[in-house]
Amino acid sequence: MKLLGAENSDAVQELLIEQFGATENSIGGPPVIAVDRHLELAKKLRDEYQYRIFGFVVAAHYPAPAKDANGVGELIRVSYGLRSVGKGTKLATWQVCIPVDGAIPTLVPLFAGADWQEREQFDLVGVRFDGHPDPRRLMLSEDWQGHPLRKDYAIDTKVHPWR
Amino acid sequence: MEMIPHVAKARRRANPYLDLGSYDPEADLMVLNLGPQHPSTHGVFRLKLYLDGEIIVKVVPFVGYLHRGVEKLCEKLTMVQLIPIFDKNDYVSPMMNEQSLVMAFEALLGIEVPRRARYVRTLLAELQRIASHLLWLGAFAMDLGGALGGGSTLFMYCFRERELILDVFEDLTGCRFHYNTHMIGGNRHDVPAGWATKVHAAINAIETRLPEYETFLITNDIYIERTRGVGVVDGQLSMELGITGPVLRAGGVDHDLRRDAPYHCYDEIEVRVATATAGDCEARATVRMAELRESIRLVRTLIDNIPEGPLGARKPIKTPLAEKAAKGHAYAAVESPRGELGIYVIGGGDNKGASPYRLKIRSPSLHVLGCLPYILPGHSVSDAVAVLGSVDPIMGEVDR
Repeated sequence: MKLLGAENSDAVQELLIEQFGATENSIGGPPVIAVDRHLELAKKLRDEYQYRIFGFVVAAHYPAPAKDANGVGELIRVSYGLRSVGKGTKLATWQVCIPVDGAIPTLVPLFAGADWQEREQFDLVGVRFDGHPDPRRLMLSEDWQGHPLRKDYAIDTKVHPWR
Repeated sequence: MEMIPHVAKARRRANPYLDLGSYDPEADLMVLNLGPQHPSTHGVFRLKLYLDGEIIVKVVPFVGYLHRGVEKLCEKLTMVQLIPIFDKNDYVSPMMNEQSLVMAFEALLGIEVPRRARYVRTLLAELQRIASHLLWLGAFAMDLGGALGGGSTLFMYCFRERELILDVFEDLTGCRFHYNTHMIGGNRHDVPAGWATKVHAAINAIETRLPEYETFLITNDIYIERTRGVGVVDGQLSMELGITGPVLRAGGVDHDLRRDAPYHCYDEIEVRVATATAGDCEARATVRMAELRESIRLVRTLIDNIPEGPLGARKPIKTPLAEKAAKGHAYAAVESPRGELGIYVIGGGDNKGASPYRLKIRSPSLHVLGCLPYILPGHSVSDAVAVLGSVDPIMGEVDR
């Protein structure tokens, strides 16, 4: 239950497990917390644990497994990272997991830098962010069909270079 | 210096989501597109400026003109095939891209890099920082207008100096821009005989000419008029936006990954981090000039002390297919000339796990551009160009 190369500090790991009930992810990566406590965690890390620099938002698409006995379905896993300032800087990371048509509360009110990062993840992976002030595509044109970083989007999908 | 009114206004943070319907109905608003084809945008970048007279009211940036789907490509190619592709992301400092990528893969695969390779990587990173900052200095002088730095004179001089670094890289790797010199677990090219002498000659030449450029540009009255108090990005705004690198340090935040989270062999050497407090264009320029000098000093300490030993891990990874498919998530970040360049990689994708399942580039330039809607309102159009030059974005890295 860790991000290789940039592990959480012990204090943050303890906070995640004891107060936010973080669980281990079967495929590795940062601890997983519930979507509805996501904003609360970010606020706590920023104000009480001094993780002040906005790091990153990474969304990854997981198609429904072939033998879906537990009814897992199609998932999007979104990892977040915040960085502390100055000597001995650390990364605090966590993960939320939503169904493919679900939404995550936006981090823009806490970190202005989340604006473009979330727009990018919406554009490329197709994850929706609730309450985003400017939910447009970032990289691709506004009339683009589909989200290229989904696993069901073939790399040789035909795209007309004109409109 | 007395504060010009619009500059004073610019010191407060603007609202990027401003509803223009609520703006003064008497105002004669005009829309001006700066870019996408504009020399001062350093590539293809479009700024939609809403102007009231000559003063900017609102800014809407558009990126993505250089989007080429590198992250999708990462899911199809193997890890080894990706390294030369990453040279083209931040094409002004390709070494940093390679280093962040191989560091992420090494973290994922759990590979230790020998000390000699780490030393050479540190050396290459610092040389690359000098080359990148030199290019910035020349381009910044061009952005500020024809007469500064003698028209294109300073630009050409900076390119001449950068050429010295590229020659040194060519001696080592055989390539001038896209080196492909890093491997997962080590470096591909060993330091050739007599290389240290060439590096010394190059950095000595650059060091003797730096004061000339400072008299050229930094002490020029017009330059000071154009940059002092213009485009203030304070530390608080920088941190919220995720801005790192010289722009963050110019806002008074003492934060540098080389010293604060040492990678390579930065823990063995002392890195003096340059900061400024004003946060304006002038402060950003001062920080970068100080970083140039610091990098020259670091290269001097490193070049004569490269330790003996192997240049690659004991078992070089030529093809990760041979490794057992690596699962899990890994993140590695380097302090590129523009800030924290991070790679977030999820292992175990196509090609039996030899490709990443998902790879995300956390590019410093994208975060830096995010500050424009907050700081540009209140400035004139000519100031917008100065601000854009001073934050030094590389569009190849923004759009990926």
